[in-house]
Amino acid sequence: MEVSSLPISASQRGKLISAGYTSLSSLSSVSASHLAQDLKISENEALEILKVASRRSGLDRIDNGACAIVNGAQTAWDMLHEEESSVRITTSCSDLDDILGGGINCKEVTEVGGVPGIGKTQLGIQLAINVQIPADYGGLEGKAVYIDTEGSFMVERALQIAEACVEDMQEYNSFVRKDVRACQIRKEPKDFLDNIFYFRICSYTEQIAVVNYLEKFISEHKDVGILHYFHFRQDFEDMALRTRLLGGMALKLMKLAKKFNLAVVLLNQVTTKYSQGSFQLTLALGDSWSHACTNRIILYWNGNERYAHIDKSPSMRSASVPYAVAGRGIRNCASSSKRVKMM
Amino acid sequence: MKPEDLLHSLPTQTPKLTLNCPLLDRLLRGGIPCGTITEIAAESGVGKTQISLQLLLAAQLPTSCGGLSASSICLHSEFPFPFRRLHQLSLFYQSHIPNNPLDHIFIQPLHSPDHLLDLLSRLDSIVSQLNIRLIVIDSIAALFRSEFDNTPLELKRRSSLFFKIASKLKSQAQKFGLAVVVTNQVMDVIESSGNLRIGNSGFLCSSGRRVCPALGLSWANCVNIRLFLWREEERVDEEGGDIGSMLARRFIRVVFAPHLPDCSCEFVIKREGVFGVDR
Repeated sequence: MEVSSLPISASQRGKLISAGYTSLSSLSSVSASHLAQDLKISENEALEILKVASRRSGLDRIDNGACAIVNGAQTAWDMLHEEESSVRITTSCSDLDDILGGGINCKEVTEVGGVPGIGKTQLGIQLAINVQIPADYGGLEGKAVYIDTEGSFMVERALQIAEACVEDMQEYNSFVRKDVRACQIRKEPKDFLDNIFYFRICSYTEQIAVVNYLEKFISEHKDVGILHYFHFRQDFEDMALRTRLLGGMALKLMKLAKKFNLAVVLLNQVTTKYSQGSFQLTLALGDSWSHACTNRIILYWNGNERYAHIDKSPSMRSASVPYAVAGRGIRNCASSSKRVKMM
Repeated sequence: MKPEDLLHSLPTQTPKLTLNCPLLDRLLRGGIPCGTITEIAAESGVGKTQISLQLLLAAQLPTSCGGLSASSICLHSEFPFPFRRLHQLSLFYQSHIPNNPLDHIFIQPLHSPDHLLDLLSRLDSIVSQLNIRLIVIDSIAALFRSEFDNTPLELKRRSSLFFKIASKLKSQAQKFGLAVVVTNQVMDVIESSGNLRIGNSGFLCSSGRRVCPALGLSWANCVNIRLFLWREEERVDEEGGDIGSMLARRFIRVVFAPHLPDCSCEFVIKREGVFGVDR
C-alpha cells in the first residue's frame, strides 16, 4: 500500500486508509476540502498530506528499486499510473493546454521555437509563474530555474503575469470555495519572483558551467519543477565540436528531467538553413539538438494571429491552435471561431 | 567564476534610461532598459540619430530624473557625426548637468565589423574607468551592408559576426548595467518575396513604402527590443487656397519587446530634441 509509505503521522495514515485512500493516485485527484471532510481533519492538515503525497508520487518511482527486477526499472502499470496522476504545468491558454494533453509535462524536454517577438519569452515567463501555482489550485507548487542567455527576462513582465495569476486564483476562490477563510491566497506577486532561480549566462563557457552545476543545484533545491533554458547561439567553426557539445548538453538536460521529475523547456530561435538551393526556415542548433527533445512546439504567425503548432509529441497528435499574448500573459485567442486544426 | 555566481536575485525593477520626454517614456514604460540591447530601426531622416543624441545627453541626468548619472559612448559608422547638433542639444540640459555635458560623451568612429569587435573587447577597462553606462551604435547596418556578398557562405560569416558582437554587448550590458542602443536602417520589401513577419506588425511602412529592418533574421534574433520609427506624409490643405502642402508626421512603434505591448506614438523633432505628441 503506497499510502503506508508516506511520511505522515500514524493517526493520519489510519484515517486515510479507513476512508478508502490507499494509493497515491487516489489522493492526486481529491481537493483539500474534500479530504478534510472525509477524514474529519482541518483543511490545513489535509493540504499538508496532499503536498507530501504529490511530492512522493514524483520522486518515489526512482527509489522503488527494491520492488523492481532490474534496479531503476518500472512496470508499465506503474508508469501508466504515474502518467495519469502527474500534474502538468498549464500554459494559461486552455486551447494550448488541450493540444498538449493538459499542459507541459514533467520528466520531458519540450522545445519551443519561433521568430523574435512571437512569444517564446512570454511563454517561458508564464510557465515559470504557473509552475508555482499551489497544489490546491491544481498546480505543481514548484519553483523554477530560468537560464537566460538572451537577456530577455524582464522582471516587470514577470510581476505583471504573477499579479494576473494571483487575481485568477482569487477569482477561482470566490467561485468554488464556500469557506473563503480557509484558503486565503497567501502568495503575493513578489513571492513568485522569489521562487524563480535566475541564471544569467553570457558566454559558452558559462553555459557549460551552469549545465554541469545544475545537478548539484537541483538536488539541493528539490522543489524545482521546471527548468527554462535558452540556448546560447554561437557559430562554431568546428561542426564536429558543436555536435558533441550540444549532444552532451542535451543528454544532461534529459537526465535532469528524468531524475528530478522536472519539466525542461528549451526556448530556441529560428534561423534559415540553406538547402536544395533555397533558404528554409528551421529551428536553430541543428538536428543533434532536435533529437534530444521529447516534444516540440513551433510558434508562428498566421496572418495577424499567433499560432502554436505541436510539431513533435510522443502522445499527442499534430495540431495547431491560436493563442494570444495579453497583458495578463499567455491566454486564449479572443476570436470567436476557434480554429483548432488537426493534421 | 563559479556557477553559483551566475545565479542572480531578481530586482523588482530593471533600471531604465529616460528619453527625457514623458510621453515617450510612457510608451517604453520608463525608458530604455539597462542590460539589454534596444534597436531603433528607421529609414534615414526620420530621427534615429536625433534620439541617439538625446540619449547620450540623458544618460548624464541624475537618477532621480531618470538618467544614469554616467557618461556615454557613441560608436558611429555613419559620417559625419553631428557634432553641432549635439552641442545645440546640450545647451538645453545645462540646468541638470552643470558641467559641460559634452565632456562626458565619447565618440569613436567605426570602420568595419572587425573594428567594432576589437573595440568591444577593449571596452571593459574603458567602461569602468570612465563610468560609462550607455553605449550607442549608430548604425549597425552601415557597418555590414557593403561588405558581404549575397552568397550563403558570406551570409553565414555575417551572421556569426552578429552573434559575436551581440553577445559581447550583452555580456558587458549585464556586467556593468549598461543600456545599449543600436540603430538600424531599413530595406524596401519587394511584394512578391515571402516576407517573414517579425514582431507586432505584418508590414511596416515608411514614406508610403513597405520596409523592413535591415540585416535579416539573424540580427533580429540578437536584439531584445526593436523599435521602429516611420514617417507619413499628410496633405494639409491651405485655407482658402488650392495649393496644399505636405506635412511629415513621425511615429514610433514597439515592434517587439518582452515587457511592452504593441503600441505607437507620434513624435516631433524640435530644437530642444525629440518629443512625443498626443494627438
